[in-house]
Amino acid sequence: MGVLTMGVFPGLVGSGSYDFAMKLAKAAADKGHVVNIWFSGNATVSVKAHQKHLKDYSTGEKYLVELLEKGVEICTCEACTISRGVQKTESIAKIQWNAMHWYLSKIHCADRVLQIGGE
Amino acid sequence: MKLGVLVSDYKICVETIDRMKSDNLGLVLVQNGVYHAVLKEGGKESSLLGKTPRLYVLSEDLQSRGLSAEQVDKRVKVIDYSGLVDVIFNDFDKVAWL
Amino acid sequence: MADVKCAFIVQRPQYKGETSRLALTHALSYQTVEVLLDDGDTVTPSLCFVGEGVLGISKGQNAMAPYGINSSELHVKNCLLVDLDVYVCKEDLEKYGIPEDQLPDAADMEAEKTINVVPFAEIEKIMEEAKHVLFF
Repeated sequence: MGVLTMGVFPGLVGSGSYDFAMKLAKAAADKGHVVNIWFSGNATVSVKAHQKHLKDYSTGEKYLVELLEKGVEICTCEACTISRGVQKTESIAKIQWNAMHWYLSKIHCADRVLQIGGE
Repeated sequence: MKLGVLVSDYKICVETIDRMKSDNLGLVLVQNGVYHAVLKEGGKESSLLGKTPRLYVLSEDLQSRGLSAEQVDKRVKVIDYSGLVDVIFNDFDKVAWL
Repeated sequence: MADVKCAFIVQRPQYKGETSRLALTHALSYQTVEVLLDDGDTVTPSLCFVGEGVLGISKGQNAMAPYGINSSELHVKNCLLVDLDVYVCKEDLEKYGIPEDQLPDAADMEAEKTINVVPFAEIEKIMEEAKHVLFF
């Protein structure tokens, strides 16, 4: 089994790339791979808890909770997140908050890196 | 280097891919990139289909756009997310997203 | 102990989108990654500007005055200051009519590195030699 590290930058709502990242992460974790996810840019808003899933919009929370339960490590860029007005106390539990070097450290140990750029 | 490029757009990515060497390049068509596997713009197929023999398209992104595997060019292998994970780990040394 | 080389390929222009700036700030974070790694382990990004990515790195930027944000020029200079290798595609500069002397240096910061203007083939080589390739 390998290690897949994903950098996810697109916003939760308004880009199918976020949904793609979540589904790929789940598929990799289901196969027994180690998966790390780094949120930066607009993707960081998706760590806010209590999202309401309206069917015209993507939702992140149900994916993230499921991935965390599978042992996927998820970390959000603290600077990107607080700059968007989301505080740590509002975050989905067990999501890590750190600086950009967290991503590079997970790149160091990865067999594959998929950097999904944002807007 | 066996680079697998995930192509997520229809037009925007083509210029970048065109200038990349074909040796050991593979293309995985996802999101709006799936149109490369099915469209014949002005009767012409996508130039990407001639770039490499290692071509894949994501079934879920075909399905969500009302496209079927039968419409996909025969050179392109249809895979699902589980298959994509295998392709990422087994068919390429590194992957990139465009 | 291992160094993991990464090719950061910036292909989007600066300012309208955030991605290209995030490439620069993520590359800069290579200075502090060691706190999360074992002794001797490192990550070394090479920063490569191609396509429209070459558009937003010219000298004389001042994004602070109109928008209150740091300019990409400043980030590029900081990358040079911390000894990152920065490459700009020669063909793309020519395509957009940007003279090489329009690119910034960080001599005023006493940086030793300067921007390398190279053919696209050289950037492909950097991608080949890197363990991971990240497009921004």
